[in-house]
Amino acid sequence: MELRLEKFTKRFGEVTVIEDMDLTVESGEMMALLGPSGCGKSTTLFAICGIHKMSGGSLHFGDRNVTTMPAQQRSVGVVFQNYALYPHMTVEQNIGFPLKVQRVSKSEIREEVARLSDLVQIGNLLDRRPAQLSGGQQQRVALARAMIRKPDVLLLDEPLANLDAKLRLEMRSEIRRIQRETGITAILVTHDQVEAMSMCDRIALMKEGQIMQLAAPEEMYANPSSQFVAGFLGNPPISFLDAVAGERLDLGTGQSLARPFGLEATGDVVIGIRPEFFGPQHGTGLEGEVIFVEPQGREELIDVRLEGGGEIRSVLPAGEPVKPGERINWGVATDRILAFAKDGTRL
Amino acid sequence: MTSRTLGIGFLTPALVAVFIFFFLPVMLTVVFAFTNMSTSTGITDGDYRIIGDRLRNLSDAGVSQASIDKLEAAGYQITEAGLAALAEQFGEDTADELRDDFLGQSYAKRRDLERVLRSLDDPIRKTRDRKAAADLFAVSIINTRFDTEEEFRAALTSTGIDAGDHDALTRFAYTGWGWTRDNFRLLLELPSTLRYAANTAFYVLCTLSFNILFGLFLAISTFYLPAKLANTFRAIWFLPRILPPVLYVLMWNWFTWDTGFISTVTGWFGVPQQNWMMQTTTRAWTVIILINGFVGASLGMILFSSAIKAIPTSMLYASEVDGANRWQQVRYIILPQLRWPILFMTAYQTLSLLTSFEYILLATDGGPGRATEVWALAAYHTALNNYGGNLQYGLGAAYALVLVVIGIAASALYLRLFNFRELLIKPRIEQ
Repeated sequence: MELRLEKFTKRFGEVTVIEDMDLTVESGEMMALLGPSGCGKSTTLFAICGIHKMSGGSLHFGDRNVTTMPAQQRSVGVVFQNYALYPHMTVEQNIGFPLKVQRVSKSEIREEVARLSDLVQIGNLLDRRPAQLSGGQQQRVALARAMIRKPDVLLLDEPLANLDAKLRLEMRSEIRRIQRETGITAILVTHDQVEAMSMCDRIALMKEGQIMQLAAPEEMYANPSSQFVAGFLGNPPISFLDAVAGERLDLGTGQSLARPFGLEATGDVVIGIRPEFFGPQHGTGLEGEVIFVEPQGREELIDVRLEGGGEIRSVLPAGEPVKPGERINWGVATDRILAFAKDGTRL
Repeated sequence: MTSRTLGIGFLTPALVAVFIFFFLPVMLTVVFAFTNMSTSTGITDGDYRIIGDRLRNLSDAGVSQASIDKLEAAGYQITEAGLAALAEQFGEDTADELRDDFLGQSYAKRRDLERVLRSLDDPIRKTRDRKAAADLFAVSIINTRFDTEEEFRAALTSTGIDAGDHDALTRFAYTGWGWTRDNFRLLLELPSTLRYAANTAFYVLCTLSFNILFGLFLAISTFYLPAKLANTFRAIWFLPRILPPVLYVLMWNWFTWDTGFISTVTGWFGVPQQNWMMQTTTRAWTVIILINGFVGASLGMILFSSAIKAIPTSMLYASEVDGANRWQQVRYIILPQLRWPILFMTAYQTLSLLTSFEYILLATDGGPGRATEVWALAAYHTALNNYGGNLQYGLGAAYALVLVVIGIAASALYLRLFNFRELLIKPRIEQ
């Protein structure tokens, strides 16, 4: 079901956290609210599920205006960061709770619980209590409980934050699989760009209560609308260099780069170069000294201090014979250079 | 200093306190419960005396009728010993005259001897002197105080009482305290025992229910109020607890007196003025349960409130988005997680209510009649505040000992029920 947030404003006392935010999540789409902590993404989620009242604007589930509707009547499923399972109930009772409070008959509840526990693959754990489950299992229970009512919208609040790295990987694809299988409209709140990029159809990147860019993950990575978006997305992160755009991009240090095709601006700019677009595979062009090499198994992160000033990062396959202190002359994939104005807007 | 001695050092004040305020009183209660101590026996050794007014009780004590008659009949006899004493106080002449004419004579009553003393040539003129003089010739041991058992037995022998009755008489005459199991026999026999037990059970059950239910109600209702309002509300409900008990109950008394608040207000509507606490048994119980209940409920409220606050907010949020309304949230999420606080409050309040009587003492003092006399109050009345004036320490201690036994048994039961060792396991830290 389509979810539409119009002119959403949220104030806590005197503090305005979010002002006039518009967001539309298509039916069956999985949308990520991504941003650093304090950007208002959880506030948005709590407003959508009805725990926090909206200070202004309206919220629609399909054709239904649910702006003033209490959480109980909204038909949303929420997976909380700490799962918020009820410790005194068994897994079966936890999953069946949303139906139990609707006075659904016991046999029907049992059927539904069986269906959901099959979907999230915890059919053998129904008699346990939450304290007897691992983090990943608790996650699955929370997911099943959120989905048993067949809600209009599934909301996931940092669902993977409490899992170890291996489980995180597993649950990432699990959640995506379940979302695809059920075709439910979902919103994922996260501060982890990898989660957002790997799980979601589109990402809304937020900063200080504003949506900075709303796009598909690949689009956002390749074509960020601002310096903030470019800097937030990508791991290892992009490197920024000051430059003067003339015939070439003059770094002001005696070195310069070719102008990327289509760049029209002149004067002071900030250029962004992702690590994978700087390296020996792109020929030569920038001279510098390797100051740090960080092996990461499959690849190596290399920090280079450029001749005359400025630092730039590169990522190379492991095994390249690069040592700290070594002098290098590597090239840049010119077409992939991102240029920004001094105020951070994309040029 | 090793950590072990240090630990014992830190424990010492607690151990001393436990010894002085628990162990010692309990031991003393046990000791007193097996004595017949009372105001009349005193708490030190007594003396031996057969009190004239109690002569008729002698046959109950197993003394033969012959001996009793002899004790009563033994009157006054002119003997050398008596004459010597008389000579010392009233002069040789009087003594000599009496010896010459009356030596060996017996008189059943003092008045007869007084008549003789007046008829002497050298009479004793003052009535008071004559009475004193006559007493010098008394043979009877009635009303005479003997400091030791030997003296008393010697006196019995000299009176010529059958030796078979000496033991019974000695026991009867002893005015000090002694060891006995009669207190417990008496407890079993007295109909009032059952009454006090029933009163106590009723009092504990009603007050406990009120405390827990009302405490829960306050905790849950204030939980849903805005924080500032809730805190004000809780502070008001906490007042009874921090008020000195005497002041608190005095206010209740004033509230319910026949010229008090309720009477005055109901008086405006034509209800005759009356005492709203003591008029009927129902009212007395209602007031007592309310007095204790408000104090107890405030403690429950604080404990339950903090327990509710300890429930993670996300869990309450989760139940809301799961579709649970307020009542279902309370019923399925909050109450199940208050299980331990509720059990603890029940245990703690049962024990403290069993032994508490100060509010009842101050409010109704067990009245009207003995309608609200609970066990602990009965113990207090028997041992320390008896209307008749004879404080029965021994019987009172027996009452108290029953409470001690019930208390210890209940504590042991609760400890088992709570499985305290399990409670002491470090909490799992989640999140």
